[in-house]
Amino acid sequence: MKSFLTKSFLWVYILSILVPVGWVVMSSLKTGADIFGNPWAPSAVPQFKNYAEAWSEAQIGTYFWNSVLVSGVTLAVLLPISAMAAYVFAKVPFPGRRAVYTVVLGGMMFPNFLVIVPLFLLMRDLHMLDTLWGLIVIFVAFSLSFSIFVLTGFFESVPDELAEAGVLDGASEAGIFWRIMLPVVRPGLLVVGILNLIGLWNEYSLSLVLIQSPENRTLPIGLANLTMVQHYQSNWGALFAAVTMTMLPMVAVYLLFRRRLESAMLAGALKG
Amino acid sequence: MRRSRAGFALAFLSPALILYGVFVLWPLVQSVQLSFYRWRGVSVRRKFVGFDNFREAFQDSIVGQSWLHAASLVFIAGAVTIALALLIAHLVEGQSRVADLARRVMLIPHVISLVAVGLIWSFLLNPTFGLVNATLKAVNLGGLVQPWLAKPVPAFLAVVAAFVWYAIGFFILLFTAGMRQIPEEVREASGLDGASGWRAFSRITWPLLWSVKRIAVTYVVIWILNLFSLVKLLTEGGPDRATELPLTYLYEQMMGNGKFGYASALAVINIILAFAASGFVLWIFRRDPTSGRAK
Repeated sequence: MKSFLTKSFLWVYILSILVPVGWVVMSSLKTGADIFGNPWAPSAVPQFKNYAEAWSEAQIGTYFWNSVLVSGVTLAVLLPISAMAAYVFAKVPFPGRRAVYTVVLGGMMFPNFLVIVPLFLLMRDLHMLDTLWGLIVIFVAFSLSFSIFVLTGFFESVPDELAEAGVLDGASEAGIFWRIMLPVVRPGLLVVGILNLIGLWNEYSLSLVLIQSPENRTLPIGLANLTMVQHYQSNWGALFAAVTMTMLPMVAVYLLFRRRLESAMLAGALKG
Repeated sequence: MRRSRAGFALAFLSPALILYGVFVLWPLVQSVQLSFYRWRGVSVRRKFVGFDNFREAFQDSIVGQSWLHAASLVFIAGAVTIALALLIAHLVEGQSRVADLARRVMLIPHVISLVAVGLIWSFLLNPTFGLVNATLKAVNLGGLVQPWLAKPVPAFLAVVAAFVWYAIGFFILLFTAGMRQIPEEVREASGLDGASGWRAFSRITWPLLWSVKRIAVTYVVIWILNLFSLVKLLTEGGPDRATELPLTYLYEQMMGNGKFGYASALAVINIILAFAASGFVLWIFRRDPTSGRAK
């Protein structure tokens, strides 16, 4: 009896997640009229043209590639420079290291949005406002704290003997880092990369302020804008399709790397 | 050797430190500075006005409302999230197929972005095609059918529901990890080994989760004070500002009204209150009844 209650409760919980998500996916294949007909009924004929319309006419394709570009380049810059900094914080003692590390971690404490006013003005003065590369620079800067924090933990767990072996072989400090240490912390780079990917793909508030032209929109702001437009045009099928295209890539990433992600999120929460 | 190490450290740190300094720390300092100016961002002239922006903020009834809403969200959405997450974390501990499935899907709402979460809930609650009203009608609860997002209290409850839906998976994860840290001997010593019922929960799990609860409460407070996109997409702070939050109002003052100085003052107040709130949480949880055992 007790276990029956437990199981029913868990089923209610599972369905509360899967039903809304599934309903959005199901509705993305319905015609506008069907969406307004019976919300529970699937479409008799799947309307794949909703996806085509969302992708080209509603510009979701442009936004999608912008998001791919911004997330990809951000990670390509972010991972090496945060690994370099994390290596120094973990393995290379210098005066004041503790203090500098604390200041860098401070960035995890306050919400990005609170510096949005001066950030907007700074980007305008640097002529980086409303550009994708400007957004990339901001994304890298605001992802540093968390990435350095996680990677420092990974470097700390690498035994010092490994670097010493490199010294005996006559390798330079930089050589030791690139050829010996970096390959060892590959699991850490993967975890940091995936966690940042999810955050960057979904980032809304900074992009909303820093991006203005339609052709520079990333997926979240493009999608939000589309919602307002679709209220007039009432092409709801395409809007459901756009939401589906935004969320499914991250659901896939999450399901693929679930265990690693969970342990990294926990490490961040329990130590931070 | 020492010299070259310092040089190496500097070289390896500088890309990160320069970016962090210019685009994170410097704006943070400027936030404080700007809050003492009246400035619309466009003209070269900006006027030093002392504490005028702060005075304006304290007299602005919408600022007060937005903080009241944030505080209510912390107490209502926060309490619901933590209580439900504790219960579910306790239930998914068992080895069953349904528990395994629950663990697999629990973070899906968390990874699909608050924009998608806001949109999904606005669709669910849509008066003409939404699933919520359709379901209420189907189970003969037609009396509850209403335009959810058009009325103040239902709209606020919608924000609560969407937040809980988004956040709960992370807290289940946190509590499950906390429960695994509870030593096996404690379970055995209490004579409740293998028990998974209410007694085990109230005698062992709840008290021993003290330090994890502190982290959880801190997270709830910080997340709610940071809430922006969810509300922007779901209710736009409406109807009639019933779900206005500190950050949605800040955005309106900055991008809508171009009041850059005023928006900065709101940001500074936000930082101070956020620190005060997390300090308060740490103070409440300062006493650890397990005296450091199951940290």
